[in-house]
This record gives sequence, C-alpha cells and structure tokens, in this order.
Amino acid sequence: MKDKVLVSPAPHIHDATNIPNVMWNVVLALVPALIASVYYWGFRALFLSLLGAITAVCTEALIQYLRKVPIRVSDGSAFLTGLLLAFNLNVNAPWWMPVVGAAFAITIGKQVFGGLGNNPVNPALLGRAFLLASWPTLMTGGWEATRFGSVNGISNLSLISDQLQTIAPKAHALVTSATPLNIAHTLRDTSFVNTFTQSPALNTDIANKIFISLTDGSTLQNLFWGNVAGCIGEVSVFALLLGAAWLLWKNIIEWRIPLFYLGTVAVLTFIFGGIPGSGTSFSLPIFHLFSGGLILGAFFMATDYTTTPLTKKGRIIFGIGCGVLTVVIRMVGGYPEGVSYSILLMNVFTPLIDMVTMPKAFGKVKK
Amino acid sequence: MKYYLQLGVILMVFCVIATGILAYVNSVTEPKIETLKAEEAVKSREELIPGCDFEEVKLRDDFSYFIATDRETKELKGYTFTSQKKGYGSTIKTMAGLDPEFRVIGIKIIDQSETPGLGANCTKESFTSQFAGKTPEQLVVDKDGGPIKSLSGATITSRAIASSLKEEIEAIKADLDKKQEQEVAE
Amino acid sequence: MRFFSEITKGLIKENPMFVLVLGTCPTLAVSTSVINALGMGAAVTFVLICSNIIISLIKNIVPSSIRIPIYIVVIAAFVSVVDMTMAAFLPDLHKALGIFIPLIVVNCIILGRAEAFASKNNVLYSLADGIGMGLGATLALTIVATIREILGSGTWLGIRVMPNSYEPMLVAILAPGAFFTLGFLMALMNRLKEKRA
Repeated sequence: MKDKVLVSPAPHIHDATNIPNVMWNVVLALVPALIASVYYWGFRALFLSLLGAITAVCTEALIQYLRKVPIRVSDGSAFLTGLLLAFNLNVNAPWWMPVVGAAFAITIGKQVFGGLGNNPVNPALLGRAFLLASWPTLMTGGWEATRFGSVNGISNLSLISDQLQTIAPKAHALVTSATPLNIAHTLRDTSFVNTFTQSPALNTDIANKIFISLTDGSTLQNLFWGNVAGCIGEVSVFALLLGAAWLLWKNIIEWRIPLFYLGTVAVLTFIFGGIPGSGTSFSLPIFHLFSGGLILGAFFMATDYTTTPLTKKGRIIFGIGCGVLTVVIRMVGGYPEGVSYSILLMNVFTPLIDMVTMPKAFGKVKK
Repeated sequence: MKYYLQLGVILMVFCVIATGILAYVNSVTEPKIETLKAEEAVKSREELIPGCDFEEVKLRDDFSYFIATDRETKELKGYTFTSQKKGYGSTIKTMAGLDPEFRVIGIKIIDQSETPGLGANCTKESFTSQFAGKTPEQLVVDKDGGPIKSLSGATITSRAIASSLKEEIEAIKADLDKKQEQEVAE
Repeated sequence: MRFFSEITKGLIKENPMFVLVLGTCPTLAVSTSVINALGMGAAVTFVLICSNIIISLIKNIVPSSIRIPIYIVVIAAFVSVVDMTMAAFLPDLHKALGIFIPLIVVNCIILGRAEAFASKNNVLYSLADGIGMGLGATLALTIVATIREILGSGTWLGIRVMPNSYEPMLVAILAPGAFFTLGFLMALMNRLKEKRA
C-alpha cells in the first residue's frame, strides 16, 4: 500500500518536473564536461565515467531488489551519482576505483538510509571522501598531463623555467608535477619555500614569480578551457558553465547556492588568496574560482535537492558556509582543495539550517 | 541523616581498602618499573652505540643529548639524542645515534601516532634504515631534493623526522663547537 | 548444567558487542589488528572474571543506593593492580597491551555485567558469566579486527593474506572503518536473529 501512494512535500504543483526528468537533465548538463575531458585525455575518461555510472546503477538495482522495494534505477539518480563520483577521480585512477567508490556511494551513502531522498549527505561526495581516506596516494598524486602536455596550466613558464632548473631544482620539480592548487598550496608553506635555495630573498622571489605566472592571463585561460591536470569532471570551466547555464535556464537548479558559494570564495580569496608577499589582485579570485573542483561542486553537487536547505534564506547560508569552508581548507588546511569536504560538512548542517530558517506558519504564535 | 552517614562510611571503607591495596601494590612495583624504564633507555642507547658510557648534556629545558665514550678506552664514540617534532597528526619522537663526525649511525622512532597505513609506517625498518650514514646536510626528503626517500602519502611525517634530526644535530654541533672554542680560549 | 549455559550465552545469544552493544568504544578503538583484538580480549576477560567474582562476593554488604560507585572503585582498583603488576613483572606483555589496560575501566561490559548479573547471582554463576562474556567480547573483537586488518593492511595476524597487487583500503583501519564494520556485523546479527525467530 505504501508504495502505491507517493508522498511528497508541499507545494503539490503539477508540471513536467519529476525526478527522472531532473536527474537526466543534470546528466545531460554534465555531457559537455565529459566531452572536454575526453578531448584532453582520451577515452579513458569516458571509460571510467561510464564504469562509475553503470556500477552505481547495478548496485542500486541489487540493493533495491534485496530490500524488496520497487526497482527505480531508471530515474537516473544512481547513474548521476556514479557519474559525479567518477568525475572526482584522476584520469590515471585504476579501473576498480570508480567501481568501489560508486558501490560505496550507493550502499553507504544512499541505500542504507532508505534510498533517494533520505540520504543526509551527497552520496557521490561521500564516495569520494571514502576513496580519499582509503587510497590517498592514488587520489592525490600522479596527475596526467593533458594532450597539450599541460599539468600546471602555466603557459609562459619559459619566463622562469630555464633558470629555475639550475637555481632551484626543487621549485622546478614542484611546478612541473603538480596541479595549480597544489602549487599554490605548497608555495604558501614558507618553511618549504625557504628550502629552495640558500638565500631567503631569492626564495621569496622565486615563489612570487611562480605564483605570478600561475595567476596570469594566459594561465587563467588554460584553466577556463580546461588545459590543466585535474579530476575527470572538473577540468573545463567552460564546459561546466555551459551545463550549468542549461540547468539554470530549465529551472532545475536554483541560483542562490552557486551564487553565494562562488561569491563568498571570490571575496575571501581576493583578500586572503595569495601567497606571503604576493599582495592582492583581481586575478586571485578568478584563479581560485577556475581551479580545482569549485565550479563542478557549486553547480552540480551543492545544488542536490535532498541534501541542501529548502528555504531561500537557508540556501544563502548554505552557499556562504560552503564558500567559507572551501577557502579555509584551501588556505590553512592540509589539503590543497576543499570543495568536497566543505559541501559534505554543510550537508550535515542542512537540517539545522532548515530548522532555523523555516518561516513561521501564518497565524502561528511564538511560544 | 544517620542513613546517609552510614552510606558515606561504607563507601569510605571501600575506598580506603582499595587505596590501601593500590598503595601497597604501587610500593612493590614502582621501583621495579623505574629500573625497567631506566634500563630500557640505556638499552636503546646501547643499541645505537654499543659498549659506551653516556654523559648527559642539557642543552635546553626540553632537550639534552648524551656523549658516548668507550667504556674501556674512554675514546669518544659519538652522541645520542631524542628529537621531537610535530608530524601530521602527532608529535614524533625519534632517537638517533651519531658518530664523532656527526653522521647518523641509526635512528629509532620511539613515539608517534601518525595516520595508520601512511605516516605510521615511519617505524618500519625500511624507512628508518636509510638514515644510517647520512650527514646532517643529507637529512632532506626526496620531495625537497634530498636523498631520504619519503613514505608514500606521508611526506609531512617523513619531512618532520628528517628535519627534526637535522635541526638537533646542528644544535649539538654548535654547542660542541662553542665549548671547544672556550677550551681553546682558556 | 546452568554453569555451562551461563558461559555459552555470552558467545552468540547475548554477545556483549553485537547484541548487548556494551563496550563498543574500546572495540572501535583497538580493533585495527587481530593481535590488538586478542590482547584487549584477554585483558577484558581477565578483569571481567575477577570483578564478577568480587562483586558477587560483596553484593550482600553493599547498600543498593551506592552500589555503582562501589563497583567502579572495585573495578578501577582491580585494573590498576593488574596494570602495575604487569608493568613490573611482565614488561613485554604490558608494552603490547599498554594502552588497553586503562581503557578497561571505562569498558561498560565490566560495569554492565557487575550490575546486571554479578550483583544478583552467586559466585559460581558470576564466574561463568565473566568467562562467557569475556570470550564473547574477544570473539566479537577478533571478527571486527579480522575484517579491518585484511581490508586495511592486507594481512591477518601480521601475515600477508591478500595478493601483493592489493592496495590496502586504509579507511578500514581508520575510525570510520570501525563504524562501518561494526554496523554491518550488527545488521548481519539482527538478520540472522530475525530468520531464526
């Protein structure tokens, strides 16, 4: 009996918006990012993404069968979770990683709590956190260069590269093997910078030069188009924005969370986003917005219906909270990137935010 | 009132008996535990530099090193010390032995609670054995361009161990140089 | 005959970890490897047997309104005695079990059995209950640790059991892994119980 009546929260408006429609539209919106990824790294990106998505669908079907509830995998929610999980992986990740991650995301992240709509945190991000805790070396290292040979996104490295290799091999090794956020994170560590060469003044100089070329126009362009090492789905800001625009236009995602999330990050990184001695500039917020998984997270993960607040005020708080946490993790945390953990943490706060911001029912008297 | 007093007295009796037993056991075991601990410290120093007498030199409030001289010939054999530095999630205590030229003879991780499976691997022989024979200048991990191969996924831990040793060796060296100068001046 | 049933009930039917859910905190903390689990299990069993005997002996002279503080005093004193004696006379064993021994004081299996069983039963049954519960706790700890050690380190009792190509799933030996494992095992126990009923 229970399964024959679908209970949903008010308002009960009839239109074409239903779960499968929303989910498959989000999947569609992620296709440009997938194409960009295949363009830069080849078909392994597609292979891993499909592997994640298919595993998630199979796991969901299996668990729904075991739970003796109707099998509703065609609603696309599991497919989306698996796809987003794979989007969080390095293109060099072994094939079993999207499989294990997606199975975990669906089992522990979603079905354990009762399936779609009952999960407290975003399952894809939980899967990612699980993979990061389990295989940190595979998740944070071995970045694959794009087909144009770019790892760090810096295009006019020639400015410093020749001298760098002889003067400070350590700085050179850092620049050529790490992602932009990794480089920025490491340069912020003054005790590391001071081991470049014998002279502290020269060290600061080298660090600043690297940082300037990391945030200059041509690098930012590379970050925008996606010519930089990173996770499968986060690479091309352009492709992600294309998908996000589609979702905003179709009214599938709401603008408040992404706007306040990105806005908070922009404001905070304008003030704190540099490295010691670099000062502030307008390229700092752009660098921080374009690098890492921020765009992917802000539009596609922080907007998940189940795990984000229902009220408008709540969504603003949620966005700002995510932004503050992301910047705090990037600037003072141990990890170079903080998008996934900040969204997960704010997911946990969602019931609390909803409780505080829920508008008073008309005529209700305050106790 | 009398009832509560009675309860208090009963509880007190139990506490007194328990305390008495504990005090007795403690008086029996404490000296033994102390000697065991002292023996252990001597034993680990002995492991690093065998057959020596150790003389303690206090350098700072929280740091002292030991000068090892051969028990028979009274010849200088080296130095031992225990360095401490914050790693990734805990303070790592490393004991090290040096030869008279300040090259590392061997190290031993005494205390750490780093991430299991990553930083905690620093106690493994495969990691600690590579420190043997290194000069203080060589105590740099590979990520920083040095010869010490850092633990996979635990650069911070490896770096903390290498740099804590390096810093303390340099401190000991400076202290000994200063003393020598004073001796020459006298 | 009841003596034996008091022992066996602790293994499965009233397993302290999976069924009574007592003393999960130390279980989660120390079950990272099988050797730790066995050590903790042995220490718990020993203290549990002794405290059960003592509490069952003094049950008639303890006023019920202050029984809990007295049990705690007895247990804490006992644990401290064990701790000090081991440190002095069995230093190697003490080094291996070092951190678990103080943990036993806060292990609610001990107080739980003192309150629920030893204070109501005679010495003989209390002894049996202590043995059974101790073994049950050891069994549960070992099962949890087996899963965690195999997944998280690829070893069992320090011997490599997984193929060399296996990348250890580190999360299993971190705190979340303990919760996942215990959760799954408890779900499994409930499932088995449901089937039987």
